[in-house]
Amino acid sequence: MTDPLLHIQRLRTSFKIKDDYYAAVDDVSLEVNKNEIVAIVGESGCGKSALAASITGLHNKERTKMDGRISFKNKDIANASINQLNQLRGSEIGMIFQDPLTALNPLMIIGEQIEETLMLHQKMSRQERKKRTVELLKEVGIPRAEQIYYQYPHQLSGGMRQRVVIAIAIANNPSLLIADEPTTALDVTIQSQILDLIRKLKDEMHAGIILITHDLGVVAEMADRVAVMYAGQIVEIAPVIELFDNPKHPYTRSLLQSVPSAFDKQERLYVIQGVVPPLPNLPREGCRFKSRIPWIPEEVHEKEPKMHEVGPGHFVRCTCYEDFHFIGEDGGMNHGAS
Amino acid sequence: MALLKLEDLHVHFPIRSGVFKRIVGHVKAVNGVSLELKSGETYGLVGESGSGKTTTGRAVIGLNEITSGKVFYAGKNLIEKKRTKELRREIQMIFQDPYSSLNPKKRVLDIIAEPLRNFESLTKQEEQKRVQQLLSQVGLSQKSIAKYPHEFSGGQRQRIGIARAIALQPKLIIADEPVSALDVSVQAQVLNFMKDLQKELNLTYLLISHDLGIIRHMCDRIGIMYKGRLVEEATAKEIYENPQHIYTKRLISSIPDIDPKNRGKMMALREEVKRDFDEKYNQYFDENGLAYDLKAIAADHFAALPGEGQ
Repeated sequence: MTDPLLHIQRLRTSFKIKDDYYAAVDDVSLEVNKNEIVAIVGESGCGKSALAASITGLHNKERTKMDGRISFKNKDIANASINQLNQLRGSEIGMIFQDPLTALNPLMIIGEQIEETLMLHQKMSRQERKKRTVELLKEVGIPRAEQIYYQYPHQLSGGMRQRVVIAIAIANNPSLLIADEPTTALDVTIQSQILDLIRKLKDEMHAGIILITHDLGVVAEMADRVAVMYAGQIVEIAPVIELFDNPKHPYTRSLLQSVPSAFDKQERLYVIQGVVPPLPNLPREGCRFKSRIPWIPEEVHEKEPKMHEVGPGHFVRCTCYEDFHFIGEDGGMNHGAS
Repeated sequence: MALLKLEDLHVHFPIRSGVFKRIVGHVKAVNGVSLELKSGETYGLVGESGSGKTTTGRAVIGLNEITSGKVFYAGKNLIEKKRTKELRREIQMIFQDPYSSLNPKKRVLDIIAEPLRNFESLTKQEEQKRVQQLLSQVGLSQKSIAKYPHEFSGGQRQRIGIARAIALQPKLIIADEPVSALDVSVQAQVLNFMKDLQKELNLTYLLISHDLGIIRHMCDRIGIMYKGRLVEEATAKEIYENPQHIYTKRLISSIPDIDPKNRGKMMALREEVKRDFDEKYNQYFDENGLAYDLKAIAADHFAALPGEGQ
């Protein structure tokens, strides 16, 4: 097999809170290949966005410690300088952020914002840049591209703005695209159009894509592989069909049970007991999900949970999945945390 | 008798322009909506942003001025009559964002007791007892009473908001995107809890949301709004399994399917519906781009289909 496009090995990213460092990403290893969409799922506080920020170096360097290796096209980028990162970001690595209103500059016309990234990474004449910008706007499905070029972000709807953000992300044909909750702020009809667009980037440019989301429907529609994160760690990773048909880790199974479905009607939704602990209080020893499934006996957890291979490309952390069962009608199914 | 009845509700906002702030036009946020809520049911109002669903909810509770039309609550017209105190306490609201809808400088006691202080004259002891009752009703500990909002998680804050909403024993609760700021597992908690509370207190919900999974889970009947008007109204099952209006079809087909094996099928369906939507859009709206009036197409299923035949 060829080398993966992005290879993360034993990454630990710690943020400084008061005087101590706490790992928000704790021992994460992950590969992303060309022409592949890897989804990262989990609740807020699970470290999904911290992982994305580690790859792109978009965190406050003075308050962050990073260990481990991140190699992109076989080059280490975990210890890259700002200059090296600046060369990669926006050209080789594209980013799509959650909220298109804050990701765009309100005082600049759309055209200039897209041209800026072309100017930084490619040698083009002014005419060429403008031509390419209009092309890009058309590529992401913006009608009347020539007029939109001269408009400001506030003149566009949310879906249109997100298309502009995507146009900036793909302007230099990136080989890796990181999309952090790209459709969370959008309506379903717009969401499905944006997802189509991201899918097209994979099909036509064969980019590797990291899709960060909390929406399991979006995962099911988009991903080739799925990594489920809890408390800074990947607790389960599998090809998408395997993950939905045969989820193993208690956290994955709980998440799948707690989503209200538009396709059939459940009487009650499953509630995961407790909450994701805040960063300084994350359990660092043993199975991190233990406290949220207290009815599972202590012995079935591993002392130092490791990833176990349970099928082709399917890994699960901790042995507790073997003995996990949902709690009866009461207790867990009731109001849960309070 | 319907608990809440809207008749041809219009809410228009003026657009002002120029030095003298002259009114140059109107945004017709709600443009002729009629609907009925039966006592004890959950009615879901769905639509994309800008469709007027929030404005409709806010007009019912009196946060937006009504341009024309009638709002009947338990048979009384809310517009002709001044809202009496009694009426005001019977309709309450649960807000979207539990982080911004609670005053950070107030203790939980003061937050929940505020409606009680406005409407009832209780002694300090009585008030504290009621608040404690309400806290246990929403599953929060008695110690919470002296805490501030920042000491709670998102789900717990939303429960504080709910405790405030039910403090005056309302009959109708308008919930505008009550869980969209919460994580899935906390979302499940709040939704289950809203269902329990509904049974316990015989509440009627007007649930406003753009999340079609939540709407399906919670609602008995659903109204689909598009550009300020209802385009379809039916039982939850009918809307999801037998949508009639072109917009409803588009909306339902856009919902991501949780089974990755259906991916190909869903993409084909979406493409077909989108083609249909683009081709037939004009047939479904009149010359001013407005949806037609709702017509009954089955018992409990109404759709804004074009005139006789098609």
